[in-house]
Amino acid sequence: MKNIYAVIFVSAALLAGCAAVTPPPSAPVAGAAPGPAGITVKPVPNSAMSNNKAVIALLDQAQTDNGAGHRASADSSLERALRIEPRNPWLWHQLAQLRIDQGQYAQAITLARKSNSFAGNHSGVLAANWRLIGQARVAQGDSAGAEDAFKRAADFAQQDKAAQDPGLSLP
Amino acid sequence: MKLPSLFRNKPLTQSRFRGPLRLVALLLLLVFSGYIYYLDVTIRDAFDGRKFALPARVYGRDLEVYPGLNLTRAQFLGEIKTLGYHENPEPDRPATYKNTLNGFDFTTRDFVFGDGPQPSQHLRVEFADGKVSLLQVRGSTDTDLPLLRMEPPLIGGIYPGHNEDRELVRLDQVPKMLTAALIATEDRKFYTHWGIDPRGIARALYKTVTGQRIEGGSTLTQQLVKNFFLTPERTLTRKANEVLMALLLELHYSKDEILETYLNEVFLGQDANRAIHGFGLASYFYFDRPLNRLEPQEIAMLVGMVKGPTVYDPRRHPELALKRRNVVLKEMAGQSVITQAQFVEARRKPLGVVKRAPSGTSPYPAFLQFVHLQLQRDYREEDLRSEGLRIFTTLDPFVQHEAEHALASRLTALERSHRLPANSLEGAVVVSTTQTGEIQAMVGGRDARYAGFNRAIDAQRQIGSLIKPIIYLTALEDPQHYTLITPLDDSPLVWSQPGTPDWKPNNYDRKFHGQVQLRTALAESYNVATARLGISLGVQGILDKLPLFGIQQQPPPFASSLLGAFGLSPVEVSQLYQTFADGGFRTPLRAIRTIVTADGKTLQRFPLNVEPVAPPGPVYLLTAALQGVVREGTAQSLSNWLPADLNVAGKTGTTDDLRDSWFAGYTGDRVAVVWVGRDDNTSTGLTGSSGAMTVWGEMMKNIQPVPLNPEMPDNVEMVNVGPVTGLRYDIGCKSGMMLPFIKGSAPTEISPCDTSAADVTAAKADAKAAAGKQDKGKKNWFQRLFN
Repeated sequence: MKNIYAVIFVSAALLAGCAAVTPPPSAPVAGAAPGPAGITVKPVPNSAMSNNKAVIALLDQAQTDNGAGHRASADSSLERALRIEPRNPWLWHQLAQLRIDQGQYAQAITLARKSNSFAGNHSGVLAANWRLIGQARVAQGDSAGAEDAFKRAADFAQQDKAAQDPGLSLP
Repeated sequence: MKLPSLFRNKPLTQSRFRGPLRLVALLLLLVFSGYIYYLDVTIRDAFDGRKFALPARVYGRDLEVYPGLNLTRAQFLGEIKTLGYHENPEPDRPATYKNTLNGFDFTTRDFVFGDGPQPSQHLRVEFADGKVSLLQVRGSTDTDLPLLRMEPPLIGGIYPGHNEDRELVRLDQVPKMLTAALIATEDRKFYTHWGIDPRGIARALYKTVTGQRIEGGSTLTQQLVKNFFLTPERTLTRKANEVLMALLLELHYSKDEILETYLNEVFLGQDANRAIHGFGLASYFYFDRPLNRLEPQEIAMLVGMVKGPTVYDPRRHPELALKRRNVVLKEMAGQSVITQAQFVEARRKPLGVVKRAPSGTSPYPAFLQFVHLQLQRDYREEDLRSEGLRIFTTLDPFVQHEAEHALASRLTALERSHRLPANSLEGAVVVSTTQTGEIQAMVGGRDARYAGFNRAIDAQRQIGSLIKPIIYLTALEDPQHYTLITPLDDSPLVWSQPGTPDWKPNNYDRKFHGQVQLRTALAESYNVATARLGISLGVQGILDKLPLFGIQQQPPPFASSLLGAFGLSPVEVSQLYQTFADGGFRTPLRAIRTIVTADGKTLQRFPLNVEPVAPPGPVYLLTAALQGVVREGTAQSLSNWLPADLNVAGKTGTTDDLRDSWFAGYTGDRVAVVWVGRDDNTSTGLTGSSGAMTVWGEMMKNIQPVPLNPEMPDNVEMVNVGPVTGLRYDIGCKSGMMLPFIKGSAPTEISPCDTSAADVTAAKADAKAAAGKQDKGKKNWFQRLFN
């Protein structure tokens, strides 16, 4: 039962995301979507994703472009950010998020995994990635896989909460 | 009587020959018309052939500048000089700069990037401790800027015609001053005449006939015709043809079309075997700047050269060139092309010609060739050469120069130290970014400017031991049977396979080492232990993995392939190691980021695409083993170039008879592959570590590499084990070393910390051999443990 709700909720969220009619408010993208089945995740503002103002400026730019439906420009800004901090897991997460918006679910999952490979024990970004993998699997029609991913997301979110991670310590 | 008869005879003759004469006249007319037609076709062919085709422009990476970036003042200066900025005490015009106490004040150009335009900005940058310490927009109040994207350097073009080097310009891109100066000096009636200037021709004829020096007297149209069919001969027939063709040109084309073609066609100098045609290219050749950024005296110099590019060559005959320039300047002032004040100022200035001309179609022919090959997959050649595409690539001129320099200087040094004939060694280098797979540098030979055989992509050379990591990765993917300390058998091996002679692999040192730990077999590159491991894992299974790692060709299905007895190009090897370097994620190596049409629309992007091809845990273990190669194995002497705390992972490769010397390795941010060998595939006398690795080290030390400290995957744990015995010790036991294991695969039973064991000797020897390296390595493992 719980899972059906999760799937419905996420599908709705995805549809809304795909439509992209409304430009996003100034609230950041990553982690902003409420997790399924009662997992609440504190949104991570762009300014907490990097200590580098250049990277934050590019994240803001990508967000604006994506909000306006300019996916290619958003892609370009994220890649520029990645050239500056190629091992920042949040940036790979954002790129994965963009691939979801572009409907490239398999690539989104791979990029989220790649983000995980840089995340170390940073449960905040791990939670966000597993939630994203879950969303992509829902879109691919893999509900069992999605369920598993959401479960892992919930576990990491729990750890994140427990750790009272104030922001992040970048690798 | 004679006369009348004569008179009488004439009409007779006329009547007798009237028919044939007419025929002859008709024939002559026909022949003449045919000839005119022939000339017409010839000249139109020539003209249309040269008509405006915009070559594809290829740009290098754009330098992103931000506070905190590792960038020295000298590097930044190098960048803006490459971009053609020039010094100016008031650097407020685009592409000017001024030295300040800690950096530069400068002004960027407008530039249309792949994702939109960026206007010119007045900026200030400062440096401290090899980093950018300040970046500001200059204004009434200076404001901090988080990020600046510099214009990307133009690194070449894909040109129309037979690889002619052109810098084609459209008439509206040419400074008005230049066309005005050209018309003022060469052909004042250009816009009114029919292609020829009868008075000029008459004057020229008169002077020729009276034995004075042969003068041009040609209109621009005639000069254009002359340029199409450049030959030294100067005959009346030629002149007549020229006149006819000039008239024909004017019949078919507008004045502006003719002028535009002239501007792109006129011969303006010679660079070895390369002819410099057109003002656009000449502007780069003499001033290293585009036409629209030339100053009046520079324009005057180029216009002056039209009269005699050899005589007025500013590099060979600077005095003559200066004199001629000033004549043109005077003409320009006389015709009000410039003001009197401009004239006075311009006259005082030196020629200002750059010392060494930028040579060839591109300074980076190997990279450009790679870009061209990638483009040919998706685009028609004629579109590449004519549609004015703008291609944004990944080449980093700084890394490229360091790679070129390292290769050239090390090969010379190696020839000297190994008493090899000079210029007998060749080599290739490929450098890419680890996480984004972008090719930053590609060197196709020790003469990096030579646009010939590109060894980075065309040389298929046996890779030897570079293949081994694939075998070890395959083993480590089976943690039930293989860990980094699993003993491997390095005793004599004979392998029989139907259809091939028995295979008896040998070690490089011609010895057998008995039981060795898996990590040691890789670190010391033991062939026999590796071959036995590969055979037990299955030859075909291992070779079948290559396509996953981006290697398209299939090596022969023999066990000898396990020791790299097949050829790959350096760029293919780069792809293989990129995947190891990036935790098992394969990112196809990219040289092109974006292709934009002439009017600024994005035609194609090459977004980052990533494929997971190997599980992160085993790849992490493999990287640890490849770090062992550098820390204590065949690549130990890399420490002569690079500090131990970079934790470089790498592998040497040496083939039979020392024909090929390879090194492939990675840091935290870059993957680089170097090949050294001879084009005739004979012995070099070099091993992987005595040859290619030294090039690798020389290059890396100059490009500020980031240490390699990969994140430990969650299914990996660090365990303290004996370096020889493989026994598990307590964390505190100094006889052991920390090694990564897939969880559940490490020895479980903890042995007492025995300070008399073989491990201690090994550890001590290690410590002696590698001084502080080992400790630093250990510290890192510890750090990661508690991360």
